[in-house]
Amino acid sequence: MTDSGLELGPSGLDASVGEFADQNQDYYTTEFAKIQGTTGFAWSWNTMAALFGPMWGAARGVWGFFWTFLVLELFALVQVGRGLWGELGAEHLQKYEKLLTNIAKREQQAQEALAAGDQAAADTAMKVADNLKKVATRAKEQADLAANEAVTILLIGLGLLVLFKIVEGFYANVAYEKQYLKWRANASTPSGVNQMTTLFGAVLLILIWPLTLFRFTVTNPDDKLSDLFGGRLSITQFPVNKEYFAPIATWLDGGFDWLANNFGDVFDGVTAGIRWVLDGLEILLIQTPWPVVMIVIVVMAFRLAGPRVAVFTAASLLYLAFMGLWEISMITVALIGAGAFLCVIFGIPLGIWFGKSKRAYTFAEPVLDFMQTMPAFVYLIPIIAFFGTGKPPGVLATIIFAMPPVIRLTALGMRGVPEATKEAAVAFGCSKWQLLRNVEIPLAMPSIMTGINQTILMSLSMVVIASLIGAEGLGALILEALQYAAKGQGLLGGLAILFCAMVIDRIAQGMYRRKAEGL
Amino acid sequence: MAAIEERGLSKPEVLSEFGCVVGIADCSFKVKRGEIFCVMGLSGSGKSTMVRHLNRLIEPTSGSISVLGEDMRALGADRLREMRAMHIGMVFQHMALLPHRTVRDNVGFPLQVRGEPKSKRWEVSQHCLNLVNLDGYEDRFPRELSGGMQQRVGLARALASDPEVLLMDEPFSALDPLIRRQLQDQFMALSAELKKTTVFITHDLDEAIRIGHRIAIMKDGRIVQIGTPEDIVTKPADDYVKDFVEGISKLKLVFAHSIMEKFTTYKPARGEDLAKSPRVSHDTDLDHLIDVSITTTQPIVVQSDKGKDVGVISKSTLLQGIQGGKA
Repeated sequence: MTDSGLELGPSGLDASVGEFADQNQDYYTTEFAKIQGTTGFAWSWNTMAALFGPMWGAARGVWGFFWTFLVLELFALVQVGRGLWGELGAEHLQKYEKLLTNIAKREQQAQEALAAGDQAAADTAMKVADNLKKVATRAKEQADLAANEAVTILLIGLGLLVLFKIVEGFYANVAYEKQYLKWRANASTPSGVNQMTTLFGAVLLILIWPLTLFRFTVTNPDDKLSDLFGGRLSITQFPVNKEYFAPIATWLDGGFDWLANNFGDVFDGVTAGIRWVLDGLEILLIQTPWPVVMIVIVVMAFRLAGPRVAVFTAASLLYLAFMGLWEISMITVALIGAGAFLCVIFGIPLGIWFGKSKRAYTFAEPVLDFMQTMPAFVYLIPIIAFFGTGKPPGVLATIIFAMPPVIRLTALGMRGVPEATKEAAVAFGCSKWQLLRNVEIPLAMPSIMTGINQTILMSLSMVVIASLIGAEGLGALILEALQYAAKGQGLLGGLAILFCAMVIDRIAQGMYRRKAEGL
Repeated sequence: MAAIEERGLSKPEVLSEFGCVVGIADCSFKVKRGEIFCVMGLSGSGKSTMVRHLNRLIEPTSGSISVLGEDMRALGADRLREMRAMHIGMVFQHMALLPHRTVRDNVGFPLQVRGEPKSKRWEVSQHCLNLVNLDGYEDRFPRELSGGMQQRVGLARALASDPEVLLMDEPFSALDPLIRRQLQDQFMALSAELKKTTVFITHDLDEAIRIGHRIAIMKDGRIVQIGTPEDIVTKPADDYVKDFVEGISKLKLVFAHSIMEKFTTYKPARGEDLAKSPRVSHDTDLDHLIDVSITTTQPIVVQSDKGKDVGVISKSTLLQGIQGGKA
């Protein structure tokens, strides 16, 4: 198999440097040889690069060089511009003039008061005026100082410019040699002198430099611009108010209202479904006598995750009980449980589907990103519009936030099942269903379990936010603490949530660990 | 497809002309009942693709496949699954065992797919594990076993459904040489006992020669030559096969009848007397011929099955035969 499909790269070093450089071949061949023959920094001077700076980078397609020195030279030029024509200390001068008018006003007030025979008021006004005078003097001093600094700034600017030019001259060939190595490996890397990139670089320079210089060296750029061209032009603010935003928002409002009015039955059905799950869990956790629930939880922790977790669980439950938070904790757990349960019920099949179908996953990916990254408050608004307030909408908000991990990790697990194992199963006559049940799901199980764990923990983090739309429980306790700045209540409630989370997490993790160890 | 059939285009030609890769083309062969048929080729020559066509893990675009008299391409989904579950066992290069199941459940997997009850599955997997000398490991998990043992589990799994046909896709390639040899021996012993029709894929000509009754050599998706090990070694069809065969020891593969000169045309040199020559059967291999040659100064006379003198092998003929230059 000699034909690997790869074309042979540029061969001879010298010849290929010439091919790469296109213009000034001999110069670059010599300089590159010098760079390649040095172990430390090669002092190779490039006059063109020093003279033309970023434009050299654009012409040669070295864009890192272009952007770096575009910014650096611009910084130096701004200093030069400020030194030459910038109105330094202008804001202090403005302040000074404003103060002068204020002082005049106060003095006038004092005289008026004196004329009216109100000695006290006159004294107060005079005192204020005196104070203002002190401030004004300081402003004047600062303004003068700033104006005197102009020469210093100009010199600094020029110094920086020269420094950057020197750096450009010495750095250009080093950067260009790196580009040459890249070009050897990948022929699409820019090489030679390209007119299109030169033009592009020039356009960028013309767009960026004058405007930026103008903005930073002139005191009121917008006013100056208006004076120069007439009309209102702004380079400090994008010239748009709410003229697009407002109508679109109103239109969306209408859309939501229309949905709420026309699909009320659907939303009611969803609410009923969630309430059904929630009620079941609440009966289990709240109506059942508390000793029974506690014993069952502790024994479960012991059996599934071992004695240490069991002790921790017992301590956590005692904390909840003695703080009088037992009932609302169980309400919270029911809320989370309902959310997590629904996430798992819908998330795993969706995950399996997305794991099997690449196309479905491509469509689902942005939706999942949306569910995870969109701030909860954004979807709380339509949830209230469609589902009202209370626990079921709270569960729904939890589902939106907490479902993506289980979907993602299930899909990941499904895709991680080795192709060879699946093939073997098919070779022994597995149907699709048998393949899924006997091979794919068992092999994806660790990943699915991680997903479920993540989902549970993310549900817990939604407790406080869900309480904003009327879901009771520990979240509501904390929300109340927030409203009345009740620090102690907030901390105790927060600890309760923390313990709930840790108990669930430790039991779940202990369970996987024991299973993974094959116990 | 038509272009490949009519014009006999090669793999690179089709790639450049149609932009698609030819998996395999022009692969016609028959495997006899009970035969071990080795398919040999370098990686990328299409041998694994070819064997996957036999049980339709890969769907052929044209041609015909017949296994046990069934036209595989005409089978419906259910019947195809039945064929796979009942009649065709397969062993894979990377074992592909199910890591979450014990050895016993792995071996019983084909029967489970078929819907057999647990007791039957256990009984059969016990039997198959005995066949591959793995009794006592039933309740281990695959990860606790060495590579060689895992592959024996793979073999037991393929035997579990008692299929007539075994497809083996480079089963021993991933193992180290010592274990590979052990497994080859074990497989050959097992094969002699069970007489399964086997298609055995390998990239190792030594292995093919050791195991195969007949060997097919593949290159770029085509079969270059089919023949017995001796055919392949003594009469390579083209330079490609010749390159392969070059390094192979011919001592056990080349027999007297393929290197001898005809008895009737042989002119004895001075001092030679064919009457005093030792007699050997025509299917004596080179290894044995050397042993005989050491004991005598005379050329060796080769006899047919009926005891008739048919050929002569002088010392120089023998040496040439060992060298493999002019066979």
